[in-house]
Amino acid sequence: MRTRISVLMLLAIAVLMVSCAPPAATNVAPTQAPAAQVTSAATKAPAGATVPAAQNFAGTITFGAPVSLTGATNNEGKYTKDGYDLAVEVINNAGGVKVGDKFYKLALKFYDDESNADTSAKLTEKLITEDKVNLLLGPYGSGPTLNATVIAEKYKVPMVEANGAAENIFNRGFKYSFGILSPGKNYLRGVLEMAISLDPNIKNVAILAANDNFSLEVADGAKQYAESKGLKVVYNEKYPPTTKDISSLLTVVKGLSPDVILGSGHLQDALLVVKQSKDLNVNAKAWGFSVGPATPEFRDSLKKDADYIFGGAQWTVALKYNGNDVFKTPDNYTKLFMAKYSYEPPYQSAESSAAVITYQKAIEAAGSFDPDKVRDALAKLDFVSFYGQIKFDERGINTFKPMAVEQLQTDGKKHTVWPADVAEAKPQYPAPTWDKR
Amino acid sequence: MTLDQFLSIVPQSIVNGLMLGGTLSLVALGFSIVWGILNIINLAHGAFVMLSAYFAYFMFTGFGIDPFLSIAPAMLIFFVFGYVIQRYIINNVIRAPLLVTFLLTFGLEIIFVNVALNRFGGDYRSITTAYSGIGFFIGDVRVPYIKLAALLISLLIAGALHLFLSRTRTGNAIRAVGMDIDAAKLCGVKIGQTYAITYGIGAALAAAAGVLIGMSFTITPDMGGAFNLRSFVIVVLGGLGSVPGAVLGGLIFGMVDVFAGVLVPGLKDAIAFAMLVLVLIVRPQGILGKAFYK
Repeated sequence: MRTRISVLMLLAIAVLMVSCAPPAATNVAPTQAPAAQVTSAATKAPAGATVPAAQNFAGTITFGAPVSLTGATNNEGKYTKDGYDLAVEVINNAGGVKVGDKFYKLALKFYDDESNADTSAKLTEKLITEDKVNLLLGPYGSGPTLNATVIAEKYKVPMVEANGAAENIFNRGFKYSFGILSPGKNYLRGVLEMAISLDPNIKNVAILAANDNFSLEVADGAKQYAESKGLKVVYNEKYPPTTKDISSLLTVVKGLSPDVILGSGHLQDALLVVKQSKDLNVNAKAWGFSVGPATPEFRDSLKKDADYIFGGAQWTVALKYNGNDVFKTPDNYTKLFMAKYSYEPPYQSAESSAAVITYQKAIEAAGSFDPDKVRDALAKLDFVSFYGQIKFDERGINTFKPMAVEQLQTDGKKHTVWPADVAEAKPQYPAPTWDKR
Repeated sequence: MTLDQFLSIVPQSIVNGLMLGGTLSLVALGFSIVWGILNIINLAHGAFVMLSAYFAYFMFTGFGIDPFLSIAPAMLIFFVFGYVIQRYIINNVIRAPLLVTFLLTFGLEIIFVNVALNRFGGDYRSITTAYSGIGFFIGDVRVPYIKLAALLISLLIAGALHLFLSRTRTGNAIRAVGMDIDAAKLCGVKIGQTYAITYGIGAALAAAAGVLIGMSFTITPDMGGAFNLRSFVIVVLGGLGSVPGAVLGGLIFGMVDVFAGVLVPGLKDAIAFAMLVLVLIVRPQGILGKAFYK
């Protein structure tokens, strides 16, 4: 009997773990993105344009990375690793990394951290002490990144991470952690920025947030930004992440007639907000969610009701950046990525590739791959890549890259509509009221 | 929020509370009857709700069958399913202490959830019909058609169950088993069969609720747990094994959830579940007092 109970308990724990896993977030951007290859006079020749023969490499610079290839975030881990691998391959094919006047080959050494933050930290230590890698790339997810960066700091080896957006990774005064994503507090900033530029008359903003760290961080960032632009945040409340009903909050929001409604939570909450807003005839000129609209399930679940809704995105294949790196444009990146992997690059891959590019720039600027010299070069780095601007603030986080905004438009497709200078479509604004659709 | 603002949304909130409470009543009803008669805290209940929501989803997306038309077939299928599960699985340990049946249904839930996760994936889905979200106004109060229909169907099914239990032979047998199992046995009631029928009815009620929930909430393999928890509170609130108790408990839960959401959204769940503690201290037999099986 006792063994049976313990087996059941184990099963229960397993299920809890499975059900707590964050839903696989995929960011499939529209495929019809025209994005013609833009050539700009500002673009310098990519590094190593003078291709030396492969055997002329002076040596190898090895990056170490714990990546989740199994466990809860195995898909995202694969996207991460594919991004790293592609960048390493493309840079090597272009002649490698220039250190002084020699060219070095790049290599990647990785271990599977099983989506476990503690394992991620242990493997980071192994990569440094046993495998003697030169530099570190980040694991997938805020949890593993939070732990792995502690080890990087301890051994004074830089870690450029591309897949942990939580601010607390960077609020510990660490000197060797660099994050290339836009931080959580910027997630909904693009939506507000865009709404203000489209309509100077908007005044009121309502924010609904799930009561978990990351969602609250996003909501706080949106609130601060809105207030700094003179908007009034008429509603800013959190709800329990397990809730099944948001109608009560929306009833209050309706009475306040906000111009913009922002949701910071999870896909399930975003679906609930839209469904119950329609139920209750709650209207706004612009709707924005931090998580949700980027996933294919959003449109599948809501059908036409998903029209006009904005979502924050780190990166999309449709952006028109013209970068100073081996990939240059999102369009070119997509072509190279699809040629190697036969699927459209998710943002996780793009940011991971961007992390490798960032190292290339820093090593070339430092003229060395000594960890401390690379660290100092990273701190001073400022360039535009196919992924957007890469520049770190004093905490080591890339607060300079704007979040892109995608919109589910009435043609049934998802379009990148912001930042205006790199967008592929015009935003559809304002959203009509539910009874006019 | 000012008092005026609050007063202006009271009517809408009452309607929201009624509609939420109606669906929750229906979920709790099946949980209540199984607990009351079989003395099983049926943790697989939430899994039936979930599986039935998927049933309605696939009938709608695959064959274009309106979800309201899926209610009756779903109830029939899950009645048979529940009957078989009780007869051939749970019945083996029915005489064991409460903890054993509790763990067994927990295990069943885990199996169902993981099979669903494996078959359907973890994606969030929802049934969006042409009339989803459409409704009418009474003054300023918005009443969405689907939720109104869900409330009416819940009340209708609860009424039908009440009549079934009090007016039919099988219903009387179920109540007799609940009241005094030995006396019922002496009177010729087949205990095993009655148990299986009761469990089947519980599953059928979960199925009806699952279809309605699939239309107004999101569907995922792990959605059931939240409904188990709510059913538990509602049953304790209203009184164990009582049809009017489950309905009243559900409506009260809905109201409290909605008004807590208006006033202190962050503590919405905490307040709803604090009711459980309060009721257990103040009135442990539930609001409607004596259960019908005693």
